[in-house]
Amino acid sequence: MRPTDPLAAEEHDTPAEVDATFRTLRRVAVGHVAVFASVVIAVPLLATALDWWSQGRLIGGMSPMFAMTAFGLYVFFFVVCLAAATLSTAVEERMLGGPGHEGDPQDPLSPNDGAPRP
Amino acid sequence: MTASIVLLAVLLVAIGSVAVFIRPQRSSTFEFYLAGRRIGVVTNACAICGDYLSAASFLGVAAAVYASGLDGMWYATGFAAGFVPVLLFVAAPMRRFGEFSIPDFLGRRLESHSVRITSVVIVQLVILAYLVPQAVASGITWELFFGYGLAGLSPYATGVLLSTAAIMLMVALGGMRGTTWTQAMQFLLLLAIFVWLAIVAVGAGFDYPQAVRELSEQPLANPEQVEGRWQLEPVTNQLAPDTPAYFGEPGGQYGQLGQFALIVSLAMGTAGLPHVMNRYFTSPTGTAARMTTVWVLGLAGLFYVLAVLLGTAARSMIRDMSGDVAWLDALTTNGILRVPEHALMVLGQIFGGRAGLGLIATGALIAVLSTIAGLLLASASSWGHDIYERHINPNATQRQALWAGRLAVAVVAVLSAVLALGVRPESLAGQFPSIVATMVTWAFVLAGSALTPVFVLAIWWRRTTGPGAAAGMVTGAVVAVTMCAAGVVLDGAGYGELLLTPTLVSAPCAAAVTVAVSLVTRPPQHLSTIWVRLHGTAADRHTVKLARLTRTGLGQRKGGHR
Amino acid sequence: MSNGSLPLAGVIVLVWGSVYLVTQRITDPPLGAGTTLLIGTGLTVALVLGYPSALRGPRSKRPSHLALEGQQPGRQNTTIAAVGRSMPLRSGLTGESARRTAQLLQPLLGGDSVAITDRERVLAFAGPGSDHHVAGDPTATPAGRVLRNDRTVLLRRRCELGCSTEDCPLRTAVIAPLRDGKSVVGTLQVYRLDGTLSPKGTVEGLAGILSLHLELAELNRQQRLAVDAKLDALRAQINPHFLFNTLNTIASKAHTDAEETRRLLVRLSDFFRYAVRQEGHFAEFGQEYFFVRTYVSLEQARHGDRVQVRYDIDPQVLTAQVPVLTIQPLVENAVKHGLADKVDGGTVTLKARVDPLTRTTSIRVSDDGVGVPPDLLRRLSNGEHREGEGMGLRNIAERLASLYGERYRLDIQSTENRGTVVDLRLPLG
Repeated sequence: MRPTDPLAAEEHDTPAEVDATFRTLRRVAVGHVAVFASVVIAVPLLATALDWWSQGRLIGGMSPMFAMTAFGLYVFFFVVCLAAATLSTAVEERMLGGPGHEGDPQDPLSPNDGAPRP
Repeated sequence: MTASIVLLAVLLVAIGSVAVFIRPQRSSTFEFYLAGRRIGVVTNACAICGDYLSAASFLGVAAAVYASGLDGMWYATGFAAGFVPVLLFVAAPMRRFGEFSIPDFLGRRLESHSVRITSVVIVQLVILAYLVPQAVASGITWELFFGYGLAGLSPYATGVLLSTAAIMLMVALGGMRGTTWTQAMQFLLLLAIFVWLAIVAVGAGFDYPQAVRELSEQPLANPEQVEGRWQLEPVTNQLAPDTPAYFGEPGGQYGQLGQFALIVSLAMGTAGLPHVMNRYFTSPTGTAARMTTVWVLGLAGLFYVLAVLLGTAARSMIRDMSGDVAWLDALTTNGILRVPEHALMVLGQIFGGRAGLGLIATGALIAVLSTIAGLLLASASSWGHDIYERHINPNATQRQALWAGRLAVAVVAVLSAVLALGVRPESLAGQFPSIVATMVTWAFVLAGSALTPVFVLAIWWRRTTGPGAAAGMVTGAVVAVTMCAAGVVLDGAGYGELLLTPTLVSAPCAAAVTVAVSLVTRPPQHLSTIWVRLHGTAADRHTVKLARLTRTGLGQRKGGHR
Repeated sequence: MSNGSLPLAGVIVLVWGSVYLVTQRITDPPLGAGTTLLIGTGLTVALVLGYPSALRGPRSKRPSHLALEGQQPGRQNTTIAAVGRSMPLRSGLTGESARRTAQLLQPLLGGDSVAITDRERVLAFAGPGSDHHVAGDPTATPAGRVLRNDRTVLLRRRCELGCSTEDCPLRTAVIAPLRDGKSVVGTLQVYRLDGTLSPKGTVEGLAGILSLHLELAELNRQQRLAVDAKLDALRAQINPHFLFNTLNTIASKAHTDAEETRRLLVRLSDFFRYAVRQEGHFAEFGQEYFFVRTYVSLEQARHGDRVQVRYDIDPQVLTAQVPVLTIQPLVENAVKHGLADKVDGGTVTLKARVDPLTRTTSIRVSDDGVGVPPDLLRRLSNGEHREGEGMGLRNIAERLASLYGERYRLDIQSTENRGTVVDLRLPLG
């Protein structure tokens, strides 16, 4: 932001690093979308392949397909998204910026030592 | 009955206290559009849900499940699934690039004014396509519950005009910070209504699996008007026309292709909805935007699970009670409601009497109003910021820009009201299962065909160029509109299902055109700077570090005084 | 084939094809869709689970448990073989390892009680008499004779045992020396209650095997010390030229671009902090990657656009454990030897992948620089070296060998004027 900001200089990404992160994240995203799409497609498609899927009776009177569309898919979406978000964040943390040493105030070599304290 | 009212009161008090707790403060253009970018992840997630859940979700999902069972759930699935691509492809980079609105984002990313103008047009089209059914819905609701018009207007027109006026006032006076908070509150209220209904239904002896079994024992049949008399007509099984359709099995509404076409249309559409995407610009960091989406999925998932449950509960309980409760006779045929959209309201009246009915109706109006508010705000920011500040009056003061935005709100709201008045719902009602849900789907189709493919390519493919994106958006929009129009004209003949939800075809067309045109044109000049801004986390880390320093600084100062 | 998953995918497609053919075309009438899906899914699961072991080759049989075989005293061959396979003394002559060894030997040897001592004390005693012969006692007099003379001693009478307890059940003993290389470091003592002697040959043979284990343990320790020393050397030797060059670059920018200068100084301090602070032999790939990035950005500040870099990294690889300070020297080699001499510069590519099926991490550092001359390449791959050339690669290879034994691969391919590819494959975890 402002060139005089002492913190801004410490947080800087080079184009090569960003490009690497971008490609890794793209793999993460494409992988998760593939899982997402195959499950969403499988749920209605299984009904034509497997009678048990749409006509079987699980606990009480729901068919596996009914249970899947009524609860399972939402849980699945949530899990896929949580996994993707966690993985993407972890990838970004490891591939951009330094290792998390700024959180350690006892560290005598920490770059934060030079930072002005209010 | 008393117990259920007490429960309701407790829920409402809980929401009220949350509302006071996260109450906002306000001012300036920046604040008006983006609420200062420091909005808690959960609050923002609730606000996104409030924007997102319209009448189509509140009444439509339960109604669709009520009418066609398993196949009715695909709406809910598609609405929820839409956030998965948002999270995977759009949320974090969009926030990191950090512009005001979708046209601004595309314009800066592709360094092209033509893209900005094209996307303003598309965004306005999407907003209108979304606004009109909301106005229609409020008109219908007014018509059902009050049944009389004001100042010589028809009841339908009164509903449309009143809701539009109320919203215009709200956005113009409150700004977005106000609406972020109101949106969050509105979502919590809707969720509370569903939780209340579900708890009361289960308390009254509703057993979900058992109900599904009982409902699936006999073929699905819904009331239809045959020669002036209401009678139950069996529902055609779209998957196998010679066998009957059942509540708990697929086929009640869609054929094989139709299912996919609908899910894809809804799932792709969310990433291109301007009022939802604008909320992402208010997250403090890209990572927060990502976590917001996870929360949105959790909350929306819960909401839709309850909606589906209530649809089933309505079908099962209204059938069981139709013999005992006299006022149901006017609405039902052999225990089945004639208008599926009434399902939740009837449930409300069964459990909460007149108050319950009023509550559900209020919920429906809230869903409509919150969505309209989000849409008008998105519209205001794209007119005021992308057109007025950038092209008409580059030296505009904040005050002028603010007023330009407010003027745009008024114009768009009036336009949508006029269009809603032009649509005579009774003329279309026979054609589609739920006019509101279908029209909302068209907004999703337009967004998913024209905006989503271009977003994904612009964010994840370096070679995307301005002309490519503009061509792709135009192609997507034209293909989508043409196919929808063909679908309406041909009325479901042959590939009618695909024609009415054409994202499956139009989105790949848009993507192909974008790629083809991009390959023969030159990518933006400052691509590597753009890329660092779009995918780098330096600004995020800086923000986090500043926040941490501020906090420790404050902590130290506090410690020093002691 | 760099990735084992692709052939697996191919095989799975083939399996589904043939399942379809068999159940839908050949069988008459065709099987139901559900049955077909079940068969296909079952075969796929079996394939995916079985595939890694097929790649690794058949599993070697686990060494069977020893105590069972050794019950009959006559079968010395199996006994010795069994002891040879399990090596409790691999970690050196300590109380814990001696106890385990004594317990292992006690049922196997012809004797009733077994003791192991070092030069001063009894380390372990197993069998009858352990009520008063306990670990920590000073060694008895006869053992001292063995330690002094380095010869096996046979004690046929009870009084020779040197036990002061009246009702000690032990009657005879065979005491054999345990050696580590040349010097005697302890004894192996086998006692009997019935007055006969344990076979001397067996006891000496076992003592010999245990001595061999001790020697191996010592060798292991020394090897590890050597690796530590190499790692220290590597940390200390971080090229002084690199430091001077970087400092010069920073100094030249100090007047024109204060922000860039600050940024570079932060990176330089990051670089040295990492190199100095690393403890242990392994680190997460993510940390090593940070080190590489820091290094490359400093080199880029000096060389400008002449040094381009491209990273291509699997998300799974970021948490894999890799040997510390291994990747950066490879990249440094590519920059220093590959690109620095090339007039218009070039690109270094770091590609890292994890193959979950074969459980390997593969890291490839390639450049499009000047390449390695054929004769040097030959010498590098044969492990010969002259002063000052290929030290980095040799150092890495030696460290990898000591960490992984035979389970790693380090390949180098090069074409003159076209570039060099260094391929590193490590077992995962």
